Amino acid sequence: MSGNGGLSTGATPVRRILALGGHEFSSRPADRAVCELLLRLARERGGERPRVCILPTASGDPSELIASFYSAFAERPCEPSDVSLFRLGRRPLALRDHLLEQDLVYVGGGSMLNLLAVWEAHDIASILSLAWRRGIVLAGQSAGAMCWFEAGITKSSGKARAAAGLGLLSGSLCVHYNNEPERRAAYLDAVGDGMPGGYGLDDYAGLLWEGEGSPSAVTARRGARAYRVGSREGEVVESPLAARFLPAPAPAALREDIAEFRRIKTMRKRAGWLG
Amino acid sequence: MKTAPRQIVAFGGGGFSMESGNPLLDDYVLGLARAERPRICFLPSASGDADHYIVRFYRAFSAHRCEPSHVSLFRREQGPSDLRRHLLSQDLIYVGGGSVVSLLGVWRAHGIDSMLREAWESGVVLCGLSAGSLCWFAEAVTGFHGEPKRLRGLGLLPFSNCVHYERGSKRRQSYHRFLLEGMRGGYAAEDGAALHFVGEELSRVVASRPQARGYRLDVAGRRVVEMRIATTYLGDREAVPAAPLPEALATASAPG
Repeated sequence: MSGNGGLSTGATPVRRILALGGHEFSSRPADRAVCELLLRLARERGGERPRVCILPTASGDPSELIASFYSAFAERPCEPSDVSLFRLGRRPLALRDHLLEQDLVYVGGGSMLNLLAVWEAHDIASILSLAWRRGIVLAGQSAGAMCWFEAGITKSSGKARAAAGLGLLSGSLCVHYNNEPERRAAYLDAVGDGMPGGYGLDDYAGLLWEGEGSPSAVTARRGARAYRVGSREGEVVESPLAARFLPAPAPAALREDIAEFRRIKTMRKRAGWLG
Repeated sequence: MKTAPRQIVAFGGGGFSMESGNPLLDDYVLGLARAERPRICFLPSASGDADHYIVRFYRAFSAHRCEPSHVSLFRREQGPSDLRRHLLSQDLIYVGGGSVVSLLGVWRAHGIDSMLREAWESGVVLCGLSAGSLCWFAEAVTGFHGEPKRLRGLGLLPFSNCVHYERGSKRRQSYHRFLLEGMRGGYAAEDGAALHFVGEELSRVVASRPQARGYRLDVAGRRVVEMRIATTYLGDREAVPAAPLPEALATASAPG
């Protein structure tokens, strides 16, 4: 691999990862707020029409998730695509080239164990690590957030337990933090037993790493928080982080309604129905 | 203690996944089960546990003639908690098609590879099509994505394998090239043909279509030798539904 494949300028690209505790691609305000953040990060790298790609590997590439991703991004200025490793037979794709052409790669939730096993089988991890070093934003929720860390708490085998991740980010992450008490308890136990400390993320809370240093916390829902979790003198300490609130953009459907309403109003004015 | 024979039925393609309305191959594997109402477990891992595929399995293997189940490795919280016990208690394990690379990756992650070997050794019949055929062999030709590639399987059968072995197909050409490049000899099957192994020996080739065939491939000198294997069409009235097998095991041994 030649060293100048990524950038023509000498600047080192900023490495960015957005880890989300849990969300969906729906029209609910908090979900729209998360989408808006993903799009903003992609735009910062790729300009007005960034390329965003979903890797739904962790849940076995189900069509519902892929469809919800496309409907969330279809009406926004971007080029959405998906890489479905289980469906490549029907839609062949130059995996490496496609992933390295993206501005943002989003990894869906599901089984962290399966995610990493399938990535290993297809040699995806090295491509993603290169993408990260080239400044392509890596993002994801649940298993798709924990995979970037040294370790996470997965329920891939049924019960919540610790599992190793790719280790692009040091420390550990636990998702669905206060939403799944069993997972949080397993995390606190694991950190108490010597697993490297890290973060807990409620659904709709996120952490954004931009370059070196500490991440910034964001939240798309009031009450959803990010926590720093560590072990101090044999005791596990959990401290909430101050988070920036992500407002929800107006939904596309509403904008259409407004446009329709204005059209009718104008017509009525012209017809002299309204004062 | 008597041991049940180890059996694998590797479909080149066919069964409910590919031949809707033609149950000949599915009936054949079900007929190999020792029980009156066989326990059959579907492993759809190669498709990422696609819902529509699981539904089609339950429609094809309806509960009036067998005891069907499936294992979703992407949704472990919903399935049987003791996977090994569940797999070892089956009469038949049916592996679906899809990506064999992903299949083997996911299986390794959950330790399914060693459980399947154990199941095979204890007499559970293993079968499957496409990726679900390639996986049992030492080496395989996968054409799932892009150019056909060589791949290592679980190695229960010490041969190479190629599925969807149709005339003029890329897989066929690639298989021949791989053999010349040193891949071990093995077996290929066209869509509708299935290779039935008892132990590590090919016992017979059966087919759900009159023209479908299985093949033995080897290298002699610098040439690939392809031998067509006499195939039993299961739609013939005279066709024996299942190979005669040694006496049944009384019960599946309970895992320790």
